[in-house]
Amino acid sequence: MQRTRIFFTGVGGQGTLTATKLVSLTALDEGLPVTSGEIHGMAQRGGVVESTVLIGYLSPKITHGEADVLLGFELLETLRALCYVKPGGKLLSNSEALPPLSVATGKADYPSLESVRAKAQAVASQAWFLPCRTLAEKAGSAQSANTVLLGAACAAHALPFGMEALERSVRKYLKPALAEINLKALALGAEAVRG
Amino acid sequence: MPSPLLADTAGEKLLLLGNEAIVRGALEGGVGFVSCYPGTPSSEVPDTFFRLSREGDYYFEYSTNEKVALEVGAGAALAGVPTLVTMKHVGVNVAADPLLTLSYITAPGGLVLLSADDPGCHSSQNEQDNRHYARLAGLPCFEPATAQECKDMTRDALHLATRTGQPVLLRTTTRVNHVRGPVKMGSLPKEKPYKPFERKLSQFVPIPAHSRVHHRQLLDRLEAIGHEAERSPWNKVSGAGDMGVVASGISRCYLADALHEEGMEGQVKVLDLGFSYPMPDELILEFVKGLKTLLVLEELDPLVENHIRALLQRHGVELTVLGKGDTLPLWGEYSTDLARQALRSAMGRQARTVDHCAPQQGLAMRPPNLCAGCSHRASYFTVREVFGDGAFYSSDIGCYTLGLLPPLSAADFLVCMGSSISTGSGFATASGRPTIGFIGDSTFFHSGVTGLINAVYNNHDILVVILDNRTTAMTGHQPHPGVDHTAIGPNERPVEIEPLVRACGVQHVKTLSPLNHKAAKKALEEMKALSGPRVIIFRDPCVIHERRTSGKPKSQVATVAETTAGCLDVLSSLACPAFLKDGGAVRVDEEMCSGCMFCLQLDKSFKAKKRGA
Repeated sequence: MQRTRIFFTGVGGQGTLTATKLVSLTALDEGLPVTSGEIHGMAQRGGVVESTVLIGYLSPKITHGEADVLLGFELLETLRALCYVKPGGKLLSNSEALPPLSVATGKADYPSLESVRAKAQAVASQAWFLPCRTLAEKAGSAQSANTVLLGAACAAHALPFGMEALERSVRKYLKPALAEINLKALALGAEAVRG
Repeated sequence: MPSPLLADTAGEKLLLLGNEAIVRGALEGGVGFVSCYPGTPSSEVPDTFFRLSREGDYYFEYSTNEKVALEVGAGAALAGVPTLVTMKHVGVNVAADPLLTLSYITAPGGLVLLSADDPGCHSSQNEQDNRHYARLAGLPCFEPATAQECKDMTRDALHLATRTGQPVLLRTTTRVNHVRGPVKMGSLPKEKPYKPFERKLSQFVPIPAHSRVHHRQLLDRLEAIGHEAERSPWNKVSGAGDMGVVASGISRCYLADALHEEGMEGQVKVLDLGFSYPMPDELILEFVKGLKTLLVLEELDPLVENHIRALLQRHGVELTVLGKGDTLPLWGEYSTDLARQALRSAMGRQARTVDHCAPQQGLAMRPPNLCAGCSHRASYFTVREVFGDGAFYSSDIGCYTLGLLPPLSAADFLVCMGSSISTGSGFATASGRPTIGFIGDSTFFHSGVTGLINAVYNNHDILVVILDNRTTAMTGHQPHPGVDHTAIGPNERPVEIEPLVRACGVQHVKTLSPLNHKAAKKALEEMKALSGPRVIIFRDPCVIHERRTSGKPKSQVATVAETTAGCLDVLSSLACPAFLKDGGAVRVDEEMCSGCMFCLQLDKSFKAKKRGA
């Protein structure tokens, strides 16, 4: 078994924790020794949400330079969490932005996709940036942007299990009404990586 | 289908949150009574009990504060029912008064107190180490580190409490409460242990003549429980070598991973302290035999370390003890990396070099923020409009603390839950400056009302603004005595805040919606002209909670007809998260806008439109 640390980051309301739970449940169903961590605190809607999935470790925490994989559900948050990535790790990120209040009110700047890509490529061995929300809308619901990224991560061999296991989990753990949309979202994410 | 947490499916493996695992452990331990005051990181424990309470065979309540929760729980445990009381670390300060005497008189039915500490202050005003309470009150203490241990230790803690009558502390930390991992289910008891109350004045009524005896009995009980700690499977020795490490709580996980990453598995002797108080002295003395160096890993205060240092001195054992110092701080959380550094330093190896990119500085922050359409935003906006920087603002614990940031800037100081009225009163009296105390509805019932009674009695010159959003929003929308519904049915007798405020003797009281800007401004101006204790109750339901319970959003949203100077003014002074500056123009994000229509009352550039139109 390959020990793996996966770091998730996103913005409250994006389904970051749902994605984390889905990965953990799939790992458990695959018989892998999984531990996951999440910090709920004052993260109200619109605050930063960070969580972890670890395979083969006891601790649920990931510190700087320890993550084999970074999954960024929002571009600015990907950049903020870049220091968690182990040199040579993998990175998958949403390329689309959710501007924080200071940006929305014109008091702060938002980094360009190109600048984040350049910084990510300097650390990670492989980095993918996908328009998750746009692909999710194509799948049938903007809410499934989180599964778009999971599909992409799976196709990039960044998760400790294959696409079939992930599809099984989507059918098993998501509400039946949402399963079809999310299966399509997984496929669109995977396709975006495979190009 | 019943919840898997309530199903008797011994052997099955579920992926559980640490807090859910605690619930299952309590059920396996035969819990029959649960009381709490919510507080992150403990909140999902009572919330899960609450969610399951229609199917589960136990009594559950949200109490008005932690002291009340412990007192109610003490009553239940005196009546013979195994009881769990839950709170966050600072909540134990509120409950400390009953706690220290309850451990004298005992709780024969069995009582476990969950204290969820927060090293790193993820959601708290301090990072106190509540293992001190175990020493202060004489409580045996368990410190789980994984989801599986959360379940098993809760069960064992409840068994110990039921068997000995001694209240037990289950001490978790944020990482443990919010870990998610596989948990193998145990069986649920067929019958709950129940010990009918037997009258015994000398035991249960702590008048001084009895208490002197109680204290010595408590020490005897602790000594006996200490013998159990010596043999407890939760205190495990593993590995070999002349270096030893003692670890407690989540540090045990960091240590295990650090030993693996350093390639030192099995080469260091490890003592895992899961049942961490009373300390197993004999086990420790046996453990240190043949060691040259001992490293102690524990977050926050050096309780284990100092105990071991004293123990070694008493027994004349010469040993290098390493603990709190340069690498291991007295603050914040530990990590695998920190454990690795401590191990390397103890072994005389070179420190690890940093192997990651530097955190990017200067990125736009995402501070927690009042939601779009939150009635507190309107309240703060209008209070600032009327009082400005001329007044001082005494804040309290809840969502509304988030009003501290500019442009609302509605918090100058804050001490603890329920302090805004009393601290504001003291500040007003000492400074002679206009002072406004903000407090939420749940917080008012928690411990604000006593401060209000004091303000009336001592005629403090304070305007109290009660921000009544009809729920305990910050911790996840728990009900409280003032609301008319709980999730499982109607609350037949809600406690109305305005009559209660009047009954406290406040003469100037007004209740109104903060979303009516004109009326709110007028009411504040009237109160500004008065003196003495006076109260405005700004009442409007939490927008998220209302949408969740009604199932649908409001039919209207705001839109910007034309970006004018007035519109830009509102953008910067109200700073609603639904506003978006797009180049020079202001837009309203329809997805975010809750339809509160407050901005329409501030400037004509905002118009109403039908949602989706």
